[in-house]
Amino acid sequence: MDSPVLSRNNVKVFGRGTQPMLFAHGFGCDQNMWRFVTPAFADDYRIVLFDYVGSGKSELAAYDLERYATLNGYASDVLDVSHALELQNVIFVGHSVSSMVGVLAANREPGLFERLILIGPSPRYINDAPAYVGGFERSDIEGLLETMEKNYIGWANFLAPVIMKNPDHPELTSELVTSFCSTDPVVARRFAEATFFADNRSDLAAVEVPSLIMQCSDDMIAPAAVGEYVSRELRGSTLRHLRATGHCPHMSHPKETVAVMREYLRSPVDGAQSVARIR
Amino acid sequence: MRADRCRPALDPLLDLAPCGFISFLDDGCVCAANRTLLEMLGYSPDEVLDKHIELILAVGSRIFYQTHFFPLLRLHGRADEIFLLLRSKSGEDVAVLANAIRRERRGEWMTDAVLLRLVERRKFEDALLDAKHVAEQAVAAAEDANRAKSDFLAMMSHELRTPLNAIGGYVQLLEMGVHGPITPAQAEALGRVTRSQQHLLRLINDILNLARIESGRIDYDLQTISLNDIVMATLPMIEPQIAVKGLRYDVDVPLGLKAAADREKLEQILLNLLSNATKFTHEGGSLHIEGALVPDREDLVELRVGDTGVGIPGDRLELVFAPFVQVESSHAARVEGTGLGLSISRDLARGMGGDLTAESTLGVGSTFTIRLRRG
Repeated sequence: MDSPVLSRNNVKVFGRGTQPMLFAHGFGCDQNMWRFVTPAFADDYRIVLFDYVGSGKSELAAYDLERYATLNGYASDVLDVSHALELQNVIFVGHSVSSMVGVLAANREPGLFERLILIGPSPRYINDAPAYVGGFERSDIEGLLETMEKNYIGWANFLAPVIMKNPDHPELTSELVTSFCSTDPVVARRFAEATFFADNRSDLAAVEVPSLIMQCSDDMIAPAAVGEYVSRELRGSTLRHLRATGHCPHMSHPKETVAVMREYLRSPVDGAQSVARIR
Repeated sequence: MRADRCRPALDPLLDLAPCGFISFLDDGCVCAANRTLLEMLGYSPDEVLDKHIELILAVGSRIFYQTHFFPLLRLHGRADEIFLLLRSKSGEDVAVLANAIRRERRGEWMTDAVLLRLVERRKFEDALLDAKHVAEQAVAAAEDANRAKSDFLAMMSHELRTPLNAIGGYVQLLEMGVHGPITPAQAEALGRVTRSQQHLLRLINDILNLARIESGRIDYDLQTISLNDIVMATLPMIEPQIAVKGLRYDVDVPLGLKAAADREKLEQILLNLLSNATKFTHEGGSLHIEGALVPDREDLVELRVGDTGVGIPGDRLELVFAPFVQVESSHAARVEGTGLGLSISRDLARGMGGDLTAESTLGVGSTFTIRLRRG
């Protein structure tokens, strides 16, 4: 339990259950993004939270430009954390880019995972005309990189610690916290590039672990057509459309998110697994 | 339906404000926008109200909204000084700085944001970022060039050593009379060939060493080492030259003084310093070797090599550590060497977590100080 990975990835474990739910945050944030949904599962599962190296309160010194140049490096973080805690039958919950990180991890060690819950997955964000519509052109991503760069420039206090005045969490009022979204500018850019220039379409077909695809309404980052593409390619997957709009239902619509996840977790895993076995 | 849900009545004063104002729900639905913002973007109220906030954002900023801005609002309750690119109705980019706060109003969580238009400031930011990129590229190009140079030097040094070793070997065979007896004149000539060959080999080894250090291909085996031992092991190697020039020397290194160092590399540095001191000190001069703890720094030790030599002009003192530099002095004829010794020595000292520095007075002498972590 005292593996260096636990401090490297700022791993947090809680909950009264035994089966682990491993929550992997998306690009731009850290494990704090899960705090509106994890309490709903803490009675029945062992909740494992972590920050990717370079995000949140991970150890920046452990950041390696080579390792994290592609999503495979992030998948290694997922596997490292799972090994450090000796997890088994993992329910992996990944938001956005972490959906593909989960896919990569599951392909490397299928036996480790029982199910994958993928929130807003996209195997490729950039259009690949004529057959594939990811939703973005390369120039759009350049626009994101420019916006990020402007926000990481010195005088914006984007990176500065802020006094927390959070009306929905009065117990946290006035606590001095570092911005949850703060990451080193170089790391953030690298993560953005690894995310938005990735093409993981060919990894989907290899997945043997059953999965849930949670597709939001009006999600411009992972449009409905992408969700359908993922559900076609990912055998043994269940596609659920949410009423929640946007790209972060676990933050904007936590109740619906929890309900859909619960319903999926109650469904027998055998049915889904047999789909995988038949192939 | 949405309209009932949010549409806050805007204070008419907000329409007169010199900055944009917008309110939106967690799902992005716009509830209010002041006239300044609508005019900035060329929209009528109906074209924006009840629509998603993404409508007025450039694509890059839409992604940023989903990945950074909204999470910040949701987790912190506010977001300050966020740069966003808005998209006007006619498709133009409008740069703004956003300050936003999320709070509950009439049972709905709503974000109120003030959008300050950036015109001049954006130009300055662009210029700054451009300058930063140019500088980063220049640094990367220089590093590439230096690495290429090191690789080239390493390769060339290897290539040169092979024939030089062959020359040395065959001269030895001739001297031994393997190919028949040689005359005293021939023996003397062969001796000159050998000395030149050995000199050339030393220079090439120096170059190879520098190239290895610069390309990071050197491992350091740090151990606790007695500085007195190092001095006593190194001095005999240089004593013949000291004796030839008739120099005096004294050693003052406390027996218990220990450093964390790589023995071989420390010996190399010390030999280089002693050899320089001998080379640049006139006959009858003296050398002084001294070891001590660093005052006020209990974790550091120093080993100093002082001489009463020609000295180095103050403005050239740092230059002696640059590769391929040999400081010319009117007091001394140019001395043989690659000018790599001190550069290599400093790199080695730094590689062991220490440093090598120099002090000098022209015509009086120089002192070189190796600083190391205490062992």
